[in-house]
Order: sequence, then C-alpha cells, then structure tokens
Amino acid sequence: MLLEVDDLEIRYGRVPAVRDVSFTVGEGEIVCFVGPNGAGKSTTMLAVAGVLHPAKGTIRFDTRPLAGNAIETIVANGIALVPEGRRIFGRMSVRENLAVASGLRGGLGRTGDTLDRVLGLFPILRERYQSPAGFLSSGEQQQLAIARALLTQPRLLVVDEPSLGLAPKYVELVFETFSRIRSEGVTLLIVEQSVRRALKFADRVYFLRSGRIVLEGSASTLAKRTDLEHIYFGEESRS
Amino acid sequence: MSQIQLLADAVSLGSIYALVALGIGLIFGVMRMINFAHGDLIMLGAYALVVPTAADFAPPLIGAWPAVAMVAAIIAIVAFAAVLTERFAFRPLRRREVDGATLLISSFAISYLLQSIVLFVHTGRPKSVSIFPELMRQVELAGIRISLVDVVTVAATALLLLALGVFLRRARPGLEVRAAAEDFIMARLLGVKADRVIALAFALSGGLAGVVSLLYVSKTGVLDFQMGVPLAVAGFVGTVVGGMGSLLGAVLGGFALGVTSTLLQALLPETLQPSRDAFLYGLVILVLFFRPQGLFAPRATGERI
Amino acid sequence: MIPRTMRPFFPALGLIAVLAAICAIVHLTGNGELEGILTEALIYIVMVVALSIFVSNSGVISFGHVTFALIGAYASAWQTCCSGIRGVFMPGLPEFLLHADVPVIPASVAAALIATAVAALAGLIIMRLSSVAASIALLSLLFVFKTIYENWSSMTAGQSSLVGLPLYVDLWAALGWVVVTIVAAQIYMSSAHGLRLRAAREDEVAARAAGIVVWRERLIAFVISAFFFAIGGILFGHFLGTLAVSIFWLNMTFLTLAMLVVGGLRSLTGAVVGTLAVAAIRGFLRALEQGFHIGGATLQVPQGMQEITLAVVLLLILVYRPQGIIGDRELGLAAAK
Repeated sequence: MLLEVDDLEIRYGRVPAVRDVSFTVGEGEIVCFVGPNGAGKSTTMLAVAGVLHPAKGTIRFDTRPLAGNAIETIVANGIALVPEGRRIFGRMSVRENLAVASGLRGGLGRTGDTLDRVLGLFPILRERYQSPAGFLSSGEQQQLAIARALLTQPRLLVVDEPSLGLAPKYVELVFETFSRIRSEGVTLLIVEQSVRRALKFADRVYFLRSGRIVLEGSASTLAKRTDLEHIYFGEESRS
Repeated sequence: MSQIQLLADAVSLGSIYALVALGIGLIFGVMRMINFAHGDLIMLGAYALVVPTAADFAPPLIGAWPAVAMVAAIIAIVAFAAVLTERFAFRPLRRREVDGATLLISSFAISYLLQSIVLFVHTGRPKSVSIFPELMRQVELAGIRISLVDVVTVAATALLLLALGVFLRRARPGLEVRAAAEDFIMARLLGVKADRVIALAFALSGGLAGVVSLLYVSKTGVLDFQMGVPLAVAGFVGTVVGGMGSLLGAVLGGFALGVTSTLLQALLPETLQPSRDAFLYGLVILVLFFRPQGLFAPRATGERI
Repeated sequence: MIPRTMRPFFPALGLIAVLAAICAIVHLTGNGELEGILTEALIYIVMVVALSIFVSNSGVISFGHVTFALIGAYASAWQTCCSGIRGVFMPGLPEFLLHADVPVIPASVAAALIATAVAALAGLIIMRLSSVAASIALLSLLFVFKTIYENWSSMTAGQSSLVGLPLYVDLWAALGWVVVTIVAAQIYMSSAHGLRLRAAREDEVAARAAGIVVWRERLIAFVISAFFFAIGGILFGHFLGTLAVSIFWLNMTFLTLAMLVVGGLRSLTGAVVGTLAVAAIRGFLRALEQGFHIGGATLQVPQGMQEITLAVVLLLILVYRPQGIIGDRELGLAAAK
C-alpha cells in the first residue's frame, strides 16, 4: 500500500470535520473520493499533504507515518497536492510557476526531462510560457497547477476537484492526462464531485458524507448499484 | 532654503522611507506579520558604529573603519541580527502556528527588548556620531547645488531597488520569496522550504535596515535608543498606504510618505511645523478609510491584508 | 462551586472580592510603601481591564490605547492642577480653565469623556480597517497625539513636566475605580454587544452573514474601553502628582499589553491576574535594582534589567503559553465554551 490512512479525525477548532476515516491507495491505482460539498474531502486531502494536522489517526506513506512532518518534507517524500481552486501564482509567469516547483528536484536546468514530459502533456503551457499565469483561462490554469505538481516528481498525485469551474472540453483533457500520468507510474488520488465520472475513471471509489466514509468499493462493483444517489445525499448504506 | 534643496530633501527622505517600508513589506509578504522591530534593527546598526559605553561621549568603533569595510560590516551585522530574531523568536512561534495577533505582539516585544538592551548598555542620553563627514558638503549637479548626502541616498536607494528587483525576478531564492509572498502554503506544497525563505526575507530586510542606518546617521549624526520608532512608524504607514502584500506598493507608499512629509514641512505655517507628522499620520488614517487596500495596490485578485 | 444564580455576577464579583481582601490586608499592615505599590498595581488593573474590554472581545490588538490615558490625564490636569500657578505651566489654557477648580471626580469623568470623544471619532475610521491595519492605525494615533502634545507647549508644557496635580489617589480611590471598571467590563462582556463582537472575533465572515455589523460592535467596545483607560491615565497622573508626555508612550503601551498577554488575552480574570503577576515581577526587579542586603553581601542588578526581563518574560509566555496564565477561563466559571 502506498498510502494508508487509519481512523483519521480532523477538527476545525472543536468541530470535527472528518471522523473515523480509513482508506488506502495502492501503488499504480486511481482512487476517487466523492461526496457533496462540505463532506470533508478537501479536509482529508489537506491532511494527507500535511497542511492540516489530524487530531486522531495515522497517515502512512510507503509504510512511514507522516506524523507532523512539514509540508515541504512530505512533498519531498513524494506526495504532491493540487489543491482546490488551482492556486497558481497569478503574478508570476507560467515559466516562473514551473520554475518554483522544479526547485525541489534541482531547478529547471536539472529537471529538463521532467519539464519536457510535462510540457508534452500540456502543450498549451509551452505556448503561454512567458505569460503571467493570472491571464490564463481556468482550464489552462488547472493544467498549470497539475504540471507544477508533476515537476516535484511525486509518487502520489492528489488532486482536489480538478473539474471545478472547467469547461467540459478541459475536463476531458484533464482526465485523459490523468490516465497518461498513471501509465507513467504515478498513483492518483482524486476528489470528484461527479459520481458518474468517478465511477467511469477510477479503480476504486470512496463516498464521503458529513465527514465519514459511507461507502467504498471497486468502481465496477459500485457502478451496478442503483442507490448511489441516496447514499450521496442522504440515506446511510453500509456494504 | 532653495526649492531645489527642498526637493532634494523630499526625495531623500522619500528614499529612506521607501527602503524602510520595503524591509517591512518583505517580512509581511512571507509571514503576514508586521515586524515592529524593524526600526530597532536600524537603531542597532547605528549603535554598532560606536563603542558600547554608558559614557556621554561614545568613541566610534566600526564608525572609524574605512568606508567600504564599515558599510559591509554594518549591513552584515544588522542582517545577522535580523536573522537571529527570526531564528530565536519568530521561528518557535511559527512552529506553534500562533495566530496573527500573537505574532504582532511578539514583534512588539522584540522591539521593546532591543530598545531596552541598548538603553541598558548606552543609557538614554542621545549621542553624537560622525560618519562620512565628507557627505555633508554641497555638490553641483547639472548646475544645481545640493547636499552630497542626499545624492548618495537617492543613488543608493535606486541601486538597491534595482538589485533587489533583479534578485527577485531572476534568482531562484528570489523566485521562492515571491511565490511564498503570494501564497505561502502553495509554495510549500511545491517543495519550497518555509524556514529558508523566511530566513532569507529577514536577511534581506536586515540588510536594507543596515543601509538605512548608515544613510540616516550620515545625515543626522545623532544616536538615540528610540530613533528607530519614527522610522518604523513611517515604514508601517508607507506599507499600509501603499498596499499590503505588494512590495512595489510598499516602496511607493514609503516614498510618497517621505516626499509629502518634507513638502508639508515647508508648506505648513511656522507654529504647526513640529506637528507635521501628526497631520500626516492623521491624513493617512483617512486614506485608509477610503481605500483600505492601499493607494498603489496591484489589481491582482485575492490581495488581502 | 458557584451557585447558578450567582453565575452572571462572575468573574466580576470574585475578582472584586479578592482584590478588596488584598487591599484590606495590605492596609492593615500599615506599610505605606506596600500600599503605594498596591495602589499603582490597581491603577494598572484599571488600564488593563479597560484594554481587555476592547482587545479580548474583538481580537484586535491595540497599540494606541495609551493615547486616551494621555488625553485624559492632561484634561484632568487642566481642571485641577497646580493651584494658582496653572497659567505658568500652561499659558495657553482658555480663561475658564485657568482658574477652574473642579472637584476631582467630576474632573476625571469630564476628562475621560474628552478622551472618549477622540476615541469615537478616530474609531469611526479605524474600526472599519482590517485587524492588522487597525493595529497599525492605532499605533499611529498614539504617535500623532504624542507629537501634538509634545509641541503644544502652551497647553501641555510641551516636553517639560507638569507638577502639582492633586494627590487624591490612595488605595481606596484606586480600588473604587477598579470596582467600577471591572463591573463595566463584566456588563459589556455579558451583553448582546459583547456576544456579537466575540462572534465576529471567532469568524468575521460568519458574523457578517448573521447580520452583525462588525465595525459598529468594535466601535462600541473601543469607546467604552477608551473611557476607562483614560480613567487609568488620570489616576496615574494624580497618583504621581507629575505629568509628562513621555510617560504615556511606549513603556506604558508595552507594560499594559504585556500584563494583558501574560494573564490571558481573552479573559477578564486574565487581565487582573496578568497585571498582578507583572506588577509583582516588576516590584521584585525594582527591589533587586536597588539592592538587597543578605547576610553581609549585597544582591543587586544593574538599572535597566527590569525592562529587559519583562520583555523576555513576555516572549517566553508567547512561545510557551500564548493563551496566558489563565487562558480562556474566568474566575468561578467552568471552562470556556
């Protein structure tokens, strides 16, 4: 198991946003988290990346616990998070955005191969290389955000809501790119709002609601169920 | 006083305030903390010029060194002091993820501590010191007579701003500082080391403070353990007015404050002159009311205090 | 513990009882010096509790409250000081003030109200700023008034000292105002306004969404806080008998802030406890600076150690216990919600 999370509890102040959450991500898998707004998906991802500290539970990456490691250490160990909202450095150019990310592995000079591959995945970035990142469209920004994360040469890429605010053609492109990324050996953990897309695309899916996992399973098995809507929005189901 | 000298004074003071505001803006950019101790770092640099003594007259220490060595030493000392405050006071606080209010009070405590230490060593009596006396003479520039010290101040400021600009744009560490200033967590999510970036920001900020020490003491010739306070207040106000979170805004805000302050001095009637600072800061509070994001804030979205 | 019906009166009642007891004990010892030290501590309690009315409830750090102590103290001096030679120190005073001899209590209330008016005006603008900008603006406010008062020689004796203020502040006068201030703080804290402001402190966005007009709530707390801080300044002036603009500057700002932080930024009990703790430390250090004779030897620290030590203490508290000695709790009540 590349990522093992056990009994995770994360609180905002005294309020638990995530409770009793346990899941795994195997090497080479694509795992999706689905659930309505406020379910705790982003919160969980932020904890995996080290931005939030869990009140309870353990997160193990490659069998080693994250336990309070600094964010940049977790990144150096191989987990890259593309957070919700893209968060590109709008006042810097595309090139500079990528340069910052490449610093971890030696800078744009040393990581030429990775840079080429990444630009190969997202050719539009090559075109916009010197533009201020703030001028890119949402779809282009999303590609930049993913490209940046890839430059840190992660083993696990965590993406939070990649399709949010994107035109359909970009969503297609982004998910296609995910497949290509996976084939290059990167494991993917993706937060999605669309159950349909998650089931079509992932190996395994976890349903999160009100901070708890209410359903999990392989995509193929879950796709056969007819009560997914209920699970997503309201009634409990334990399988 | 000639119009030209007035203008020279204005631009000179504007430059000093711009440097101070920039130093404060750098730290605010990466840490979202107003470093109250910045003015006291300037004060520290000034006092480093003389022998630590409680006596009325303080013989020059580093102040007696040859020019280049003196400048290098003061800049290095203040930069080092700044990094020390980061390492021993602000970093432990960051580790505990304290909130903004606590950071603010801490920087105020550091400021008070630095003042108390200098007060302890040197006593509260102002001391005079003379460095670069050659700067006090007048020169003729394109047919106009102005003080050399003003020329040097403006030139030094321009050079520093240029150098810093290049560093931030081109050098990797500079890039990291900019990224951290824009979105600190995101920068860390890309592997940027928080401690390194913040230490660098403090070092740069300290270096700028060192330069201000030299320029300020060259012009005024007086040491006082509270001399950093009006400079710091000018710096904060310049930063806030210029637009917090923007380095360019800080520079412009500081500059505008210095220029306005000097010109106001000349325009105000005699009796009100000593209160010119009061007018100015009162004015500033008004500005903040109508344009809280600052006068020169960039149009970029998400720029909040 | 405390019976339910008594809960609304806590922590005020508890704090007042404890302080009154301390005063009684000290008074009974007949030690004049000790009474003096306690009186000074009580004056600081007035200031720090006043400060906490604003800072604790709003979460905004104020570096400018000493402005109101300054304004208040001098306004009180204008009405009461220097019997007969007032015009010598402050020749610019208007006729009706030059010879006025206002009884001290109305004088102090009037003086505090003047400071409060300034607070209201400045607050109209400053309270609309974000917390950081507001903190800076408040420091600027202090700077502004310090500059004005230092140069307004005709009204304030400028940078010279003003002597001859009536020394009416003894242990009981101070305690009296402490009681009033603590009661006021308690009333505000328990009021709907206090509740709203604390909601905004926790989550400004949510508070706004709930219909709370944040700047107005801040302004209310600020104005009340300014009034009592001014009283503190007035008491200080009439305790010392001398005034100088330099008294109301960074030292006092640091001290009052340190007292609040050490005790606990968020609690009324903290304000009182912190003040007593810091006053005790100061007292101890002052004694050390003057020198202790133990056995045949003298234990003495050099002048200036007081400030350095206090700064270090504050930093240590900020790093190791930022919530202060008391944290969130209040005397007599269960742990905070």
